[in-house]
Amino acid sequence: MAVNPSTGQGEGLDLSWLDLYDDAASATPSKKGMTLADINLGRYSAEARGAGDMTFRLRGAIPRPNAQRFGPNYQSKADVWAENCLMLYEEAVQRQWSSARDIPWETLEPLPDDIERAMCQLCTMLTEVEFIAGDVPGQWLPFVSAQDYEAGLFLMTQIMDEARHTDVFRKRALANGGGLLAQGAGLGLRTLIEARDFTEMSVLMHIQAEGFVQSMFRMGELIGKTEADKRIFRMSAQDESRHLAFGVMHLKYVLDTEPERREEIHHYLDKAEGDAAGGGSGDVTFPPVFEALCILLGGGKDKFDEGVQKFLLLRKRQVNEYLHRLEVAGLGDRRQRVGPLLRQFVEAA
Amino acid sequence: MSEAPSAPRTVEVPQEARDRARELGWEDGLIELALQQGHTLQEVWQALRAGVTGEQAKMYLARGARVVRPDFWWMRVPTEWGIRVRPKDPAMGLQLSDLMVGTYGDVPDVWTNRSEIARGSWPNPVVEDMGYTIFEKAIVWADCVVPLYEIAIRDRWAAATDLPWSTLEPLPTDIERAVCQFLTEQSERAYFEATMWAGWLPEISYGFLELKLFLSTVIFDLARHSEAFRKRALANGGGLGLQAPTDYNRIVKEARTFPELAAVLFVQDSMLLTLFRHGERIAQNQLERQLYALCARDRERLVEYQVERLKHFLYKMPDRREEQNLYFSKAEGRIAKEWRDPAVWEPLAILLGGGTDRIEEGRRMLLELRKAQVDDYVANLRRATFERKSLNGRLVAIFEEATAPTATA
Ligand SMILES: [Fe+2]
Ligand SMILES: [Fe+2]
Repeated sequence: MAVNPSTGQGEGLDLSWLDLYDDAASATPSKKGMTLADINLGRYSAEARGAGDMTFRLRGAIPRPNAQRFGPNYQSKADVWAENCLMLYEEAVQRQWSSARDIPWETLEPLPDDIERAMCQLCTMLTEVEFIAGDVPGQWLPFVSAQDYEAGLFLMTQIMDEARHTDVFRKRALANGGGLLAQGAGLGLRTLIEARDFTEMSVLMHIQAEGFVQSMFRMGELIGKTEADKRIFRMSAQDESRHLAFGVMHLKYVLDTEPERREEIHHYLDKAEGDAAGGGSGDVTFPPVFEALCILLGGGKDKFDEGVQKFLLLRKRQVNEYLHRLEVAGLGDRRQRVGPLLRQFVEAA
Repeated sequence: MSEAPSAPRTVEVPQEARDRARELGWEDGLIELALQQGHTLQEVWQALRAGVTGEQAKMYLARGARVVRPDFWWMRVPTEWGIRVRPKDPAMGLQLSDLMVGTYGDVPDVWTNRSEIARGSWPNPVVEDMGYTIFEKAIVWADCVVPLYEIAIRDRWAAATDLPWSTLEPLPTDIERAVCQFLTEQSERAYFEATMWAGWLPEISYGFLELKLFLSTVIFDLARHSEAFRKRALANGGGLGLQAPTDYNRIVKEARTFPELAAVLFVQDSMLLTLFRHGERIAQNQLERQLYALCARDRERLVEYQVERLKHFLYKMPDRREEQNLYFSKAEGRIAKEWRDPAVWEPLAILLGGGTDRIEEGRRMLLELRKAQVDDYVANLRRATFERKSLNGRLVAIFEEATAPTATA
């Protein structure tokens, strides 16, 4: 390997870049095609990551001696990494879907006015919430080192997924004789963009906010009244499960490799769970959303009380799934410290 | 009364709930009374969020009624109602363009809402400023983003499975390494560009929703280009070579505003589209031919946006026309500098010529390709109504030196 590849501008030939390959890489495709895992080889692999790098040099590429820095980014792998990000990226690429063509829009049928309004209110809230879920990974991408390339790639797929979610809920609100209704307030969305650390962001967004949304999507069979509605929730849930999986495995990586960060992470959660809504973003207690969900779950305005009972089941599910995910990540002790509004729903482990 | 939550233990009432209760005139002890009567804290909280006054709460509790009294005010907000969009083009399905109806399709010249609000929904009077900085349509918008978003999704592809990996055959060492060096550079450029567009997303307000959705497809496209290039570099006995030069990328990073970012990227976006359109000449096998063709198809959408955005911007902000020359010139100069970098031009010359021994022939072919890149770029600017009267001297010099009688290259 050339020790100091020349990149001068002489008139003659240089060709020193031809001598940089002491270890040939010949990845072979697996059953799933040529995946990131298949090219995770030798000095190019995530395991071989060296020191941090502020130049956007991709992991495994040979440094240019005169490369300029691009400003501060995360220097250590644990700051942004999740062991499943290679697999999640490939899955995201394979499982892209189209809100235009993969939702059976023709199955929409006129619904009772209260139900349609409730669905439109829920979609108004969701199309708002999904919007920030794209901005937040966008905000952090410039700070992810290209040494942790696949984590960056994963976040790019999340931006695409969230665009589709923003778009599909807007489409649904306008597709069945309704429209958008009331803007949310106090949904806790700003806490996501206020995060000053990647792990803080990931715990609040991937695990908490998207987790709460996911638990709701998983009740989509009860919430949705038409095949189109149910499909929207199913397809979106499929995407959210990747975002959650990244968050859980990122937190696990941090706790495994930097156990000294445990109290710091609890601190972020103390704040988020201590907020009045008790649940940070993805909050379903905003009255229009709460009422809309009760109407949808109960089956009409006249069955509101039944709806409230099912809503409480939804909250219970949200809280317990949230605690379970934290446990998988290695933060099982959260159960003992969970915020007051969530505590009422905690089931014995 | 509720079976969902577990049996009440000693319930800790959050301070926020107490503060809210005080604001609404709940007497001390009323929350505890509600809890004693079997209401969950969640229900009490819903009542507080819904603005149930102390007077009302007391009355409900005295009657043994629920504290949650929905009034469904959100059902009556005066947004546009009765919308039933249908696919205009059944083959494409229900597209964003189908949603551009009535007030929902109205993208204002200046968007004034600083909060996160779905365009067309009923604004809440008191909400936090989300910190967006881009509120002028002229800065970011192009009408073509609405259809291009759906086309991008329709035309998506997967590097893992849509490229014929099993057809790769060993290449002569110099050719293989030239492919690897070229793709190392391009993989970094694509990844970097994606992070830069992504970094600007949080600046753009909800008024320009469709533009942000389109940019999300651009970011995803570039992710896949970067990924595919890396895979190819690691698949056939080579590896990654020298990292990309940093001169051009630095000015992308240095852009202070979105128009500057777009202008600087316009130059490379156009140049790379031309390069990949000529991918047949660089490709050494079927996989690379397909790969470059797919990249060109994706990049066409990006250049279409770039051209239309610039045209719209210049039309709406004619006083900023001359300023654009500064960004174009800077970008052209940096690109010209990088075109002279041996790790940038030599691999291409080897690939075009067909080997290290034919590099001089390849160099002549590369010069033609560079000429086509510049011509297309000037033509793209012209389509955007921008006449670039004199290109940056560094760029011009590349062609002048080649034709000068004393040229050694
Ligand atoms: Fe989402
Ligand atoms: Fe998500």
